[in-house]
Amino acid sequence: MSAASQQDGEVRVFAQYDRDFSEEADVVVVGSGPAGAVVSYELARAGKSVVLVEEGPPFTPRDFRRDGNISMARTMREGGLRATTGTFMPVMQANCLGGASLINSAICVRPPDFVFDEWSSRFDLEESSRADLDPHFDAVGEFLGVAPTPQNVQGRRNLLFKRGCDAMGYSSEPVERNVRGCRGSGECFTGCRARAKQSMDISYIPEAIRLGARVLTSLQVQRVMSIGRRAWGVEGQVVEPLSGRTSHRFKVNARLVVLAAGCTATPVLLLKSGDLANSSRQVGRNLQFHPGCAVAGVFPEPVNPRFGATQSYHSLHFLREGFKMETMWAAPAALAVRLPGLGHELLDRFSQFGRMAVWDAISSTHQSVGSVRARFDSMDPAMSWRLHPEDAKLMARSIHALAQIFFAAGAEKILPGVHGLPDEMSSSEEAERLLQHPVRPTDLVIASSHVFCTTRMHGDADKGVVDEIGKCHDFENLYIADTGIFPRCPSVNPMFTVMALARRQALAIADRI
Amino acid sequence: MQREVAQLAGCGRRVVGVPVSSRSHCHGAAAVRANSGYAGVVFFLVALIIAGLFLLHRLVRGYPQPRERYVVIGVWDAAFLDAAASTFFPAGGSVPLSGLEADLPGYADRYLASLPSRQRLLIRALFMLFEQSTIVLPARGLGAFRRFSSMTPEQRKVVLRGWAESRFYLRRFAFTALKAVLIMGYFGRPECLQFLEVESFEIETPIARADLLYPPIGQALESIQYAEADLTPPSDGTPVNMAEGIR
Repeated sequence: MSAASQQDGEVRVFAQYDRDFSEEADVVVVGSGPAGAVVSYELARAGKSVVLVEEGPPFTPRDFRRDGNISMARTMREGGLRATTGTFMPVMQANCLGGASLINSAICVRPPDFVFDEWSSRFDLEESSRADLDPHFDAVGEFLGVAPTPQNVQGRRNLLFKRGCDAMGYSSEPVERNVRGCRGSGECFTGCRARAKQSMDISYIPEAIRLGARVLTSLQVQRVMSIGRRAWGVEGQVVEPLSGRTSHRFKVNARLVVLAAGCTATPVLLLKSGDLANSSRQVGRNLQFHPGCAVAGVFPEPVNPRFGATQSYHSLHFLREGFKMETMWAAPAALAVRLPGLGHELLDRFSQFGRMAVWDAISSTHQSVGSVRARFDSMDPAMSWRLHPEDAKLMARSIHALAQIFFAAGAEKILPGVHGLPDEMSSSEEAERLLQHPVRPTDLVIASSHVFCTTRMHGDADKGVVDEIGKCHDFENLYIADTGIFPRCPSVNPMFTVMALARRQALAIADRI
Repeated sequence: MQREVAQLAGCGRRVVGVPVSSRSHCHGAAAVRANSGYAGVVFFLVALIIAGLFLLHRLVRGYPQPRERYVVIGVWDAAFLDAAASTFFPAGGSVPLSGLEADLPGYADRYLASLPSRQRLLIRALFMLFEQSTIVLPARGLGAFRRFSSMTPEQRKVVLRGWAESRFYLRRFAFTALKAVLIMGYFGRPECLQFLEVESFEIETPIARADLLYPPIGQALESIQYAEADLTPPSDGTPVNMAEGIR
């Protein structure tokens, strides 16, 4: 292997890898999503030598594709076709510089106190209350310009949600997002061409590079190198963008390793590295999601749904009950998939698009727990998960609440998308069937991009993989910084929380090395 | 007598008191048995070959030549996609673009080319499932067991409804997956989006500091075409609908 030759503060891309190579650093961070980016930035700011390794390539606006299928094939793992077995559920996970932040809707919401109280009491965590984390939320929020979505880019489909919530007496609020200068194009999921969304690739990562971090893209980490209780680096192979073909080998030797590869990739990496950090046998277990289901509503007057921030109004009214409701927009084709029917009937529904709004609910399905295993032939995970019947009832309840809001906002009909119930419902009385009908897990069309708990933190080393600041119980210098460390699903969109936790972690690491 | 002995021998029973001349008939019986065994094997092989030829014919023969040369998909994918597209999006509907006009085979070819090989195989297996499963999940009427693409439009609709409304979750899931690919292709046509008034807005992309760091995918750092002097002011938050004069 050639010796380390890279200058501090650089980005490296696939075209530059023409041989095997190695690097040296104080800290190697695996994964450039929200957590990995924050850790890299904070450690670089503290004067540490940081190498940030990312499997995906950087995407410039020229690389964005507005076609939903093609965009997912390019920016997501397994071409956007990753799914759980047990209960089949598509799971969207990014594979690009900046991770999910490039293709999510930038929602930054702090979980309420009760979430952290549950974490503390059930998982022996002493310094993870909301008050403990608020300074980190504040710092991240300030860096990214997190603020409520302005009224002028709400668009009608988002404001109708507010109208419906007001009429029902449900609380609702404009979503706080890491966006500066949103123009309401509704393109968050396929890449923000207005460069308004402060995804990691245009916010934290350039700042980390400016402070000296080296960002190596298109490198797949395949093994954590360790001896006894000490990790001493990572190794893997160069991956060609989009095709996924592997070539040259690389190593990064470091005094400390931070795994921020994501809730499914990190446990696979540990398992493939010789079952590392797994004396508790919890690596890959406790897999949880926020499964979401969407409901479309047709209004008598034009909604012009293409205009408006992607997800900019939400209701936390039923958070304690277990679900959160929000507005949404995506590539029209992705939304059209959930419209029922065939032939002329389907085309008739397409023609109502201009009068349609789509809202969704994500649920805290605490009783539905699965696992992640390593596949023998690749670094992709095998995810097994089953939606519990009680959680299916909770989701039916969330669909019913969305239906009520639609009708209160003036919708003439809704399309609930539940097998065994009518394709369309025309009144809130008819929507009561959502509560009366025994909805089974297989009756729902669900999807998720919020994945948790596969390397959960726990104060007791026998019951969790990492401690409160993300250090593996079994190691002196191996840390995990992604949503896998959440002990339970957080009830709200997780990006802000994982960034706050990552900041706390980075400050603790900076003190230790 | 000889026939009886042979039959007895053929049945494997012990033959007592049978003349020597008749024993030769035992050999004959064994030969008959052997012959009937060979005949069974031959019959089985012939049946297998016929079944194989039938399957081969069902799988690959008789498909029309596609309109163009595709990189990933084959003639049967193209025929299936055209048939499925015309069932999902028939001509004369509320949207003035039929499935056939939308050229879904061309779209699927481009889409599959962008997928990893494993997922590419999965999607093609999905097409194959719908195209060939009519042999066990038929439509109604004459030709109910034909390949999906060889059925009448009404039969195709019956088959697809069977999947969409099945009480088996996995069948419904497969239907949704197929529908997703087809709808994505249909909405991939600009005229469809324009008719539905959901096409993307025109947006001028500001040149940000990050654009000085990253080249387009697959290119070298030297191909970055921007310098400090090229940076433009960030988005000012002017709503895109105002810019286009749409309320």
